[in-house]
Amino acid sequence: MAEITYLEAIREGLHEEMERDATVVLLGEDIGEYGGAFKVTQGLHARFGEDRVIETPISEIAIVGVAAGMSHMGMRPVCEMQFIDFMSNAYSILTNYVATSRYRTAGLPVPLVVRGPSGGGVRGGPFHSQNAEAGYLHTPGLKIVTPATVYDAKGLIKAAIRDDDPVLYLEHKYLYRRLKDELPTDREVLTPLGKARLAQAGTDVSIVTYSAMVYKALEAAAILEREDGLSVEVLDLRSLQPLDDEAILTTTKKTNRVLVAHEDTRTGGVGAEIVARINELAFEWLDAPIRRVCAHDVPLPFAPTLEDFVLPQTADLVSACRWLAAY
Amino acid sequence: MLMTRSLEERLVNLYRQTKVIGGLFRSLGQEADAVGTAYALDREAGDILSPLIRNLGSMLVQGATPLEVLRQYMAKAESPTGGRELNIHFNDLERGFLGQISHLGDMVPVMAGIAMYFKLTRQPRVGLVYVGDGAMSTGAFHEGMNFAAVQRLPLVVIAENNGYAYSTPMRKQTAVKFLVEKASAYGVPGVQADGNDVLAVYETTRAAVDFARAGGGPSLVELITYRRKGHAEHDNQSYVPLEEIEPWVQKDPIDRYRMQLEAMDWYSSSEIAEVETRVLDEIDEAVARCENEPFPAPESALDGVYHDPPRADLEWYRRLDG
Amino acid sequence: MARIDVVMPQMGESIAEGTLSRWLKAVGDQVKRDEPMFEISTDKVDAEIPAPSAGVLAEILVQEGETVEVQTVVARLETDTAAAATSPATSPPTSAPSQSALAPSQPPDLAEPPPVPQPQATAPAPTDHPEVASGPTSAEGVSPPPVQATYTEADRRVGAEETFEERLTRKSTPLVRRMVAEHDLRLGDIPGTGLAGRVTKKDVLDYLELGVPRTAAAAPASPEAHTPPSRVSGPLVDPWPGDRVEPWSRIRKLTADHMVMSRRVSAHVNSVIEVDYSRVASLRAAKKSEYGERGVNLTFLAFIAKAVADALPRHAVLNAAVSGESTIYRREVNLGVAVALDWGLIVPVIRHADGLSLLGMARAINDLAERARGKRLSPDEVQKGTFTITNPGVFGTFVGLPILNQPQSAILAVGAIEKRPSVVQGPDGVDALAIRTKGMLALSFDHRIVDGADADRFLAELRVMLQEFPESAT
Repeated sequence: MAEITYLEAIREGLHEEMERDATVVLLGEDIGEYGGAFKVTQGLHARFGEDRVIETPISEIAIVGVAAGMSHMGMRPVCEMQFIDFMSNAYSILTNYVATSRYRTAGLPVPLVVRGPSGGGVRGGPFHSQNAEAGYLHTPGLKIVTPATVYDAKGLIKAAIRDDDPVLYLEHKYLYRRLKDELPTDREVLTPLGKARLAQAGTDVSIVTYSAMVYKALEAAAILEREDGLSVEVLDLRSLQPLDDEAILTTTKKTNRVLVAHEDTRTGGVGAEIVARINELAFEWLDAPIRRVCAHDVPLPFAPTLEDFVLPQTADLVSACRWLAAY
Repeated sequence: MLMTRSLEERLVNLYRQTKVIGGLFRSLGQEADAVGTAYALDREAGDILSPLIRNLGSMLVQGATPLEVLRQYMAKAESPTGGRELNIHFNDLERGFLGQISHLGDMVPVMAGIAMYFKLTRQPRVGLVYVGDGAMSTGAFHEGMNFAAVQRLPLVVIAENNGYAYSTPMRKQTAVKFLVEKASAYGVPGVQADGNDVLAVYETTRAAVDFARAGGGPSLVELITYRRKGHAEHDNQSYVPLEEIEPWVQKDPIDRYRMQLEAMDWYSSSEIAEVETRVLDEIDEAVARCENEPFPAPESALDGVYHDPPRADLEWYRRLDG
Repeated sequence: MARIDVVMPQMGESIAEGTLSRWLKAVGDQVKRDEPMFEISTDKVDAEIPAPSAGVLAEILVQEGETVEVQTVVARLETDTAAAATSPATSPPTSAPSQSALAPSQPPDLAEPPPVPQPQATAPAPTDHPEVASGPTSAEGVSPPPVQATYTEADRRVGAEETFEERLTRKSTPLVRRMVAEHDLRLGDIPGTGLAGRVTKKDVLDYLELGVPRTAAAAPASPEAHTPPSRVSGPLVDPWPGDRVEPWSRIRKLTADHMVMSRRVSAHVNSVIEVDYSRVASLRAAKKSEYGERGVNLTFLAFIAKAVADALPRHAVLNAAVSGESTIYRREVNLGVAVALDWGLIVPVIRHADGLSLLGMARAINDLAERARGKRLSPDEVQKGTFTITNPGVFGTFVGLPILNQPQSAILAVGAIEKRPSVVQGPDGVDALAIRTKGMLALSFDHRIVDGADADRFLAELRVMLQEFPESAT
């Protein structure tokens, strides 16, 4: 079986679920014949027709609201946000209607998925580079996944579609075509929600991270091993809601020095929640304060020198780990 | 209509006795809108409507009971939402109603989604959603209406023009004189009717419903009526001059319908009185039944956010204490 | 009597109070359920409030014109009408309108609120307990303005008496504190290699592994109990071109600190005696192969250790420790035997050495030394020594003058054992030169508790035991 890209893995996942379950439909802008802005849905319109690949006007509120109504009636819609930056147009209906539905109606389900390209490093400027997870982590009722590998890109989109709760699937655009891998053909590729993945085992320092940052973390780990003789453990969370608390605690107890890293901005980012939980549940295991490496608290600028400064880089992870090791 | 009004009046009393918790909204003078439109749907076929706060009548037509409404208002454990949502924000898709959320306009795209489902599964069912002069200003209304129009969905949009959105009169809400003018912006038919004449409401809505069922797509039905009470029971309407309200009292929909029934000899006044008694009895019974029912158990607040896990993590805090 | 409360309702989410504008009923009146009883007015609305059930208006607690908080009981209805006819009308309390009405049958002077500390009239002065007024202080109903709770100077200065580094050194981290507590250690005993010299997890683990002895746990609360071993600073030294700079390993650091501490703590004195090992040498030669068959290498050290272990019970002060201003005489004789490793010095301990035969002693020495070289000692095997023997003689050193292995009071250094010329008295009483196997035994001892005579007596006995070593003991 040949290698496929991270993007192709998402497409494969969508395709397989649409074959398997006739209630799975797609909604989004330009996702039909055009195949979507990044071509994720290419070929699906030709295969499944316009009743299952539904092109919409530029109306994020309607995309999500219509999907909610359809899901009440037993369908499983997958909404595409052309850039995750535009999902905030639907913030109200997502957080007030979709997230609360099951709870406030004592059971009316909303098994929809909202997916879209997130993240920066592509010189996209402030509105094509955002990471949206923090605002929604805070909202009870939504689930959030952030695949970092080709395997999980496929495994998580399939799992998200099958999940009976509304799921935000935040794919990283930087990884779309840069990441390639071969997937197994002898079994179905499915990744459970709420379970982290050990990207690399280590003993001296833990880096807890997700999405594209996993690769910077692995780079940093290699540098630290080579130059400092440090053994760094890298935990790929994969799922932000629910968070794999067990895995986070296990790595904390193992190395006693934890670095939480994400591409999103620092204040109120998901990292802050992780740090708080480690503090609450594993204080007695800490041999150093928990550190965070995140983007600076500014809107993401466009110019390469500016963007590279604002976003966390491998060197930032390396120096944070050194600080932790020396503490 | 009588049930709507009587139930709301009873709720007012309960509210003033602090047995009703939270806000209380009346639809005094608008009962014909809710009731007339709802009757235009085909419950047997599985039509579904989504009411706003002054459409209690439409829910009653679809089969919601006074007991359920009272339990909701009184925050009882047995309420249809388990005490999680207040007043008439509850639903039963089987019976054919989907309760709203407070964010106006959001129900339009959601009902468009339900209508979309009808269309994709080729079922001859129709969705109906209420908006007011206020809700029509929202982005959500616009996106939902536009989507329904471009997809030619079987959705009837009832625009109740009752003159006010809280304290904001029509002239500060929109630049059009009548809401029906907005229909052409979406490329859908628009019609108007006298909102205080229940039969006119029924006929006009019925035409729109048939049109949708036949595949014609959505239409906008504007009902001209008036909000005779404040926004809610805690609002004394001081911003409305009394002279403005008075003529509408004369056009009370229940009084008018009563006159019509008697004039056309469809019902005698004694039969109508019987209906009034039945309505009050039903309400009394419901109140007696649920008044002393318990409130929801506090820890039940953690259940049902997700399908899986089914319970929010109380264990989290137990781990901290233990 | 069945009385129910009638309360001021909440007419709107943000409404916190209402004014009772008019009573529509008087005390003693019958009311029907839902019949209007009184009128209220709030910021948003005026309304008639209906009775919650049928009954007789038994008490009015809030008068017309009074403004009360939402949920305040304004009246009571007697629903059992027979009793209502006989209950007396009561008067409302005279306390301030902002208080909720209490049971109205109390006479007015009992409604006096509890005494409250007077708030400060001046600007908040630095105090330890910022005061907050908690309510009216007089029955006149005039409340003094509440004093805001603020942070005082003292609050803000918390933590200013030490630097971050000092605090870090003193407290380290949660993990380290937990490990120290679990192993019953003292943070101050453990050398730290972390930031600002704090003790890290690795430092604690190394400390446990290498078994640097703890100071006496029975020490009465000594002021130095929790200070880290203070390091006397030596001169600042710069490397010159060509020099090789090697940062200390953990074991080097531990050793360095121990040596300096020991010298500072004890009054080191040395006594040296010469021993004729000729007899021991011949015994050893005779028994070597026999021991060898039993897998044991019989060394001079084994003989010496046996003699020391046998003698110590009779010289208790040499098998002791100083604790504050007391001497602890150890009951056990646990002999530490220093082993030189490539990477440093380690002292495995032979527990209950006084119970071992020569064979047992030799075996124990062999085994511990081997396992020490292979880094297979357990933490127990490097702890609780009471006396140490070191063997610089194995390298040829004539006499060693070692530093005490704290908290022990004595340490014996074995000098090189070799053939030397010696004056012996022949059977005819004439002195002659002979070749004898000889070596020096040097004792370092803590003169705080061991006097010279104690040391000399011990050495004398050792000499006798070794020079007259019984064959039966081999």
